[in-house]
Amino acid sequence: MIGVELRKMLRSHRTWITILLINALPTLVGVLLALTDLGPRPGSGPAFLSAVLSDGTLFPLAAVAIVLPLFLPTAVAVVAGEAIAGEAQAGTLRYVLVRPVGRTRLLVAKLVSVVVFVLLAVLVVAVSAYVLGSFLLGDQPVSASVSGTTLTSEQIAWRTALALGYAVLSMLGVAAIALFLSTVVESPLAAAMGALAVLIGSSLLLTLDAANSLSPFLPTRYWLSFIDLFRDPILWRNVLRGTGLQLLYVAVFLGAAWANFTTKDITD
Amino acid sequence: MALATALAIGTPLALRELPASNTTATATERLAQLHASAAQPYSGYVESLGTLQLPVADELLDLGPLFGERTRMRVWWNDPVLWRVDRLTATGEEDLVQSGGVTTQWAYEGTKVTKTPEADVRLPRISDLLPPELARYLLEDVQPADAATLPAERIAGRSALGLSVAPPDPRSSVDHVDVWIDEETGVPLRLSLFADGSSNSALSSTFLDFSPGASSSDVFDFSAPRESTIERSDVVDVADAANRFAPVRPPRTAAGLPLSRDTELRGVGVYGTGLTRVLAIPLWKDVASPLREQLLATPTVEQLAEGPALSVGPLGILLTHFTESNGGWLIAGTVTQETLADVAVDLQKAQPLPSLFREG
Repeated sequence: MIGVELRKMLRSHRTWITILLINALPTLVGVLLALTDLGPRPGSGPAFLSAVLSDGTLFPLAAVAIVLPLFLPTAVAVVAGEAIAGEAQAGTLRYVLVRPVGRTRLLVAKLVSVVVFVLLAVLVVAVSAYVLGSFLLGDQPVSASVSGTTLTSEQIAWRTALALGYAVLSMLGVAAIALFLSTVVESPLAAAMGALAVLIGSSLLLTLDAANSLSPFLPTRYWLSFIDLFRDPILWRNVLRGTGLQLLYVAVFLGAAWANFTTKDITD
Repeated sequence: MALATALAIGTPLALRELPASNTTATATERLAQLHASAAQPYSGYVESLGTLQLPVADELLDLGPLFGERTRMRVWWNDPVLWRVDRLTATGEEDLVQSGGVTTQWAYEGTKVTKTPEADVRLPRISDLLPPELARYLLEDVQPADAATLPAERIAGRSALGLSVAPPDPRSSVDHVDVWIDEETGVPLRLSLFADGSSNSALSSTFLDFSPGASSSDVFDFSAPRESTIERSDVVDVADAANRFAPVRPPRTAAGLPLSRDTELRGVGVYGTGLTRVLAIPLWKDVASPLREQLLATPTVEQLAEGPALSVGPLGILLTHFTESNGGWLIAGTVTQETLADVAVDLQKAQPLPSLFREG
């Protein structure tokens, strides 16, 4: 079942068009930086963007910072929202379940497919940003630590790997919310929009001092904390909180999706 | 699943609500513990929130975010001459490292290192937002009679004893300051400053993580990255420059407040102590002019006989009138507007230095 879902996702033109579209913005930003040699003013651009003019190999981190707030979660919400509701809307869900396929297995297969999509999207963004950065942007290695200390190539490599893993994990919370909504509604658009509404609401509340007590529980609160991996010493506080929070969202919404899907009357 | 969710959300909340100490320590004992903590080393994660929208310009631009925004900081404090404070932003950080009598400032996004000596008088900087530093500055002369105990709280997972301090001097614009000190070390863990007539704090600062004890020396080692621009300056900021080079000497008292003897004061006057304190800085015209424009553009500015004045929470600001060729006095502090005006009147008595000895 998992293999079937993975093949379906990987063979779908929509998957690759979506990943290309996610990749379009950081690519455009990289090309513009290379052409103009104009970095953002301090404090005004995504993390690491000011450093890539000197060292293009840092562009994967800047690219992830560019797509993480909006492009990537939108794509994840669309793909995860499609998982069950898409089958229901197409009228195929009943037929899928007529085969000797348990609902739990189907849900797990859909989940694995969404996780692989997230991994693919982040990897494609990172690899293409690395290639673009290496060829078009700066070639003077910088210290990389935002605290001004020098990091070795090995330190930069494993911190970058951790940052990409953290970005993937951050997206799993979105995927879980959208997958749950996908089991509730019969329109994939409604499921995706519902998940996006949660994220937009979260981002809005984070700007309000009055909602400060809620902020540790908002899904977008720690998304950009991967920059803390590049401080010296590493600031684990928010990275660990972000990891715990995403795991909590995944556990709660996947559990809710499972409970809802396994007890629901399937009519479509 | 519901149980796991409840545990995951409830455990940190329950830890926060763990009962704090039920000590019966008096305000006098707590004050003594606070003052005795000055030499305590510590490290941690601090968040401050300022609500003061200051009209700032040019040389004073850094003060706006300091007192009007949320600031997140990491601190390693071994003693007053060996510490590091990082201001964390979403896209980088700005660090201050004090070591060997030199203050090194690192700005990641500007890839810039600035090295300056310590100054007798300077403008506020991020390290001043730490609860222990705020307490040291604001509560240095508090008498036990002006302090009352507050219920203990848990702050950064530690039991903290509370104190509320109200300034007895009617010239102060501060209503009160609430401070909570670590029960074990006496280090202030949270401080909130309230202006007269306001129930919301104008400035607050609190540890979210706190560890007592000294940090290893490598935390304070800073070597400028090879790609950075290094700048060395003998002058810290506009206040330091005025103190050292302005061709005036402020009077010994202003508005009845004595000139502070804590620092080597020359051009700048620091009057009063603790919660009733005023700073008078003689500004050159090129610094004073944009500030004056900013002040005049502020809707709540009041035109006093001495110059435009503004009250931002507990902070009063007055810029005295100046002529085309000379600057003016910037008078700022936690005092009422009447006191600011009195200070401005007394500053008219400031002694200009004989031209032979004028510097800068």
